[in-house]
Amino acid sequence: MSVARVVSDDRAPGALLEGRHLVKSFGATPALRDASVSVWPGEIVAVMGPSGSGKSTLLHCLAGILVPEAGEVLFSDRRLDTMGEPARSALRRDRFGFVFQSGQLVPELTAEENVALPLLLNRVRRSAALAETREWFERLGLSGLEQRRSGELSGGQAQRVAVARALVVHPEVLFADEPTGSLDSLTGEHVMELLVAACRQQGTTVVLVTHDARVAAYAEREVVVRDGTVSALTGGPVTR
Amino acid sequence: MIRIGLRLSVNGGKEAVVRLVVTAAAVAIGVGLLLVTVAGVHAVHAQDVREAWLNTTAHNERPSVDETTSDPLWGTASLDEYRDRSIERVDVAATGPRSPVPPGLPSLPRPGEFYASPALTHLLATTPARLLGARYEGHQVGTIGPVALASPESLVIVIGHSVAELSHAPGAAEVRSFETAPQGTSGDRHPGRMQLILAVVAGALLFPVLIFIAAASRLAAARREERFAAMRLVGATPRQVGAIASVEAAVAAVGGVAGGFALFLVLRSPMAAIPFTGQPFFPRDLSLHPLDVALVAVGVPIAAALAARVALRRVQISPLGVSRRITPPVPRAWRALPLVAGLGELAYFVGRRPGTTSGQVRAYGVGFLLAMGGLVIAGPWLTMLGARVTARRTNRPAGLIAGRRLADNPRAAFRAVSGLIVALFISSSALGVITTILAYHSASTGGAAGRSILVELFGSEDVKGQHDGGQVDVSPGVLRQVGSIGGVHAVAVLRGGAPAAPGPALGPSGGLVSCEQLARLPALGRCAPGASVASMPVYFSAGGVVAHKIGAGPVWPAASVSPVQLQATPVMAVYVGTDGSTGAIEAVRTTLEAAFPYLGSPSTIGEISADNAQLVAGWERLADVAIIGSLAIAACSLVVSVAAGLVERKRPFSLLRLAGTPLAVLRRVVTIEAAVPLVVVAVISVATGFVAADLFLRSQLSETLRLPGAGFYTIVAGGMAVALGIIVSTFPLLERITGPEVARNE
Repeated sequence: MSVARVVSDDRAPGALLEGRHLVKSFGATPALRDASVSVWPGEIVAVMGPSGSGKSTLLHCLAGILVPEAGEVLFSDRRLDTMGEPARSALRRDRFGFVFQSGQLVPELTAEENVALPLLLNRVRRSAALAETREWFERLGLSGLEQRRSGELSGGQAQRVAVARALVVHPEVLFADEPTGSLDSLTGEHVMELLVAACRQQGTTVVLVTHDARVAAYAEREVVVRDGTVSALTGGPVTR
Repeated sequence: MIRIGLRLSVNGGKEAVVRLVVTAAAVAIGVGLLLVTVAGVHAVHAQDVREAWLNTTAHNERPSVDETTSDPLWGTASLDEYRDRSIERVDVAATGPRSPVPPGLPSLPRPGEFYASPALTHLLATTPARLLGARYEGHQVGTIGPVALASPESLVIVIGHSVAELSHAPGAAEVRSFETAPQGTSGDRHPGRMQLILAVVAGALLFPVLIFIAAASRLAAARREERFAAMRLVGATPRQVGAIASVEAAVAAVGGVAGGFALFLVLRSPMAAIPFTGQPFFPRDLSLHPLDVALVAVGVPIAAALAARVALRRVQISPLGVSRRITPPVPRAWRALPLVAGLGELAYFVGRRPGTTSGQVRAYGVGFLLAMGGLVIAGPWLTMLGARVTARRTNRPAGLIAGRRLADNPRAAFRAVSGLIVALFISSSALGVITTILAYHSASTGGAAGRSILVELFGSEDVKGQHDGGQVDVSPGVLRQVGSIGGVHAVAVLRGGAPAAPGPALGPSGGLVSCEQLARLPALGRCAPGASVASMPVYFSAGGVVAHKIGAGPVWPAASVSPVQLQATPVMAVYVGTDGSTGAIEAVRTTLEAAFPYLGSPSTIGEISADNAQLVAGWERLADVAIIGSLAIAACSLVVSVAAGLVERKRPFSLLRLAGTPLAVLRRVVTIEAAVPLVVVAVISVATGFVAADLFLRSQLSETLRLPGAGFYTIVAGGMAVALGIIVSTFPLLERITGPEVARNE
């Protein structure tokens, strides 16, 4: 993680996900100012920066949640920023996964049903969806918790359920926004180990937003966002 | 704390103001509905009070004047008809200067004078005299004031006579005062109507309105709890937080109460024009008593404050947020027992009908009350079962999320629709019973013959239904006059003296009829071959029950009376065959009424059926009001409950959307959460109402249920569609609060 990469106007060859010259404001407050970043298949990239620097906004733009006012977002060489909301929703549902800090689980569903939810949304039969979830409960050390509701899970358990839910559809990119932000350091490390291991096992690319250096250490590459611009990149594309 | 609560409510930024306005608006709708309902009950009572004088007897429950000092008044009341509208006719003759004066009149009409209500005055002025005006002797000297009229459209006439004339009129009696006590008296054609209205209105509307107001006052509780957690963090005690919550709720409720009164004033006139009781109200009838105003103005804010406090007790707010939401216990199967017991009790009496009226009232009353109460008690359990089945069987995420949420707290979901269950049960059982009774007893009384043959009854029936024959001399001249009216093709006279003719069990006494006359009215039957006089039943009892089905063409047995002997017997009834035109029917009516002024109006069989149909129509109107009203309230309550649920789940829902869940899925969640309790409750309560009605009919009348007409189902289905439409109105809220753009990582 020593060589700085300068983003040029040319498209990054082989990049799976690319944000180029992104501009986004909230009212009069600029969040991104000409931010550019590229992510290659299979790599784990940590987006770091102080609070309010624009790192979450960058993640939201890359994931097609927000549409930048200027610049472009490319995923598998397709423009995300020009797609309509239904197409972006379908992309997020089918090819991306998300893990957030907290409050992601639907409270009235059991842990098992929460994990099965994305499969049900993709019209997988309920029995098949539940069968698929069982593997994830074992992989993430959640066996025995299948019937618990979110209120009956600890913070770490709930986060692991959220990771399982994000990975159960085998996404190409997992976006994780402060995934350990509400956990103690030990639990956070455990969740990160499981997340990284699972993603590596199935070759999922990870974009990880964090301000915690210990969490960022799980990434192969770091980008730093400051005042809405990507000011530094460390590391390089990982070849697998 | 009160000051802080007030400041947070009205000066807490845009979100606080929006929350305050939304809650106040919801409370205003609830209060408006509550006030309209209460005023409606007062309006029905006001109609009954003003109509009380028409039920005057020699022994009045509450006399209008001191009977020890008043002079007697001769009087008789009868019911006249004109084109399907009833006219209350009162004939009076004063015996002295202190004879009581009916309400609404400046003085008693003298012989040859009459007072008419404004609606009848208009009708008299716009109708040819031979069709209506000629029925009433003398000239109009004034109009009857509204104090004596149930409705602005009431048709009432008070006709003055001499004592010598009226004292010999059939049915005339001396009175010393007018009745002022409403209902329950012998003249009431539909006894207990008031109580039924009150039961339907109170059960179906008041209770859910109160629930709605309570739910509305707790709107946005989830957001409030977040702020309360922040206050706890800086040292506020649970008691202080509770006080602030109460102040906030009360402030919204005060605004809502003011809005509710304004809504009531706006709704008052349009509501008065709807003929809920068969006639429109005077707008001032829909009034509120000072006690109502005081109770609502003070009671609703207090109740809202208490509701907020109670709601807060269900969650434990720690300084770090809502740490624990106390999940209510799951409803158990025992809740179905009262419902089963009620239906079982009704089933037990099939074939074991109690012998006495009071025994029947007890048996069926207890059964119906148990079934209705049982539905309300079993409701949460049934909702839970429906929700669990939905959650278990569905392959779709929307059904899964909605089913699980409903199963988690079925009481909350059911509470929103509990009024609907009462309205639908009462409506379906009452309409089922009435439709069946009328289908069996008067199904074939209509038709062309039923609408064209007029019957004038003389004399009266005793309690056993035996007709005593008439004392009135029906001159051949009157019959000739009737026969000469355009559109009249036959006149037949039924005379007394024969034993009861064979006929159905409900048939009253029989009479004798000339076969020559009967031959011109074949719809009434025909004589046995060779007979000149036949024995035939009277077709109507005094209560208007059709005794025999017309048009069946029965053959009546010959009587051993000669046509000459027949002329010497008293007249029981006159049958007039017409072409069915309004002109012919009203002219015959006018001629007969002018000849026999105190006997009431001759009626066609069709009109008696129409009277029955009016009874059904009245019930259907009541049922419509109860169903539509309770559905609207249920929908409002469901909207509040769904909106609260959305606010509570804002974060997981917005993150689901953010992760690509289509908005349509979340819309389906909202729809199912509202539709499942609505549909489950509607189906179960209508089915239970029909089962209860069927058991009652089998037991009491040995008959099976005839289902009400399509109108009932249309109203239920249409009302539910409207209710679901109201629920759909939450979709923009769903879209707004779960948009990926607003999802924030916390």
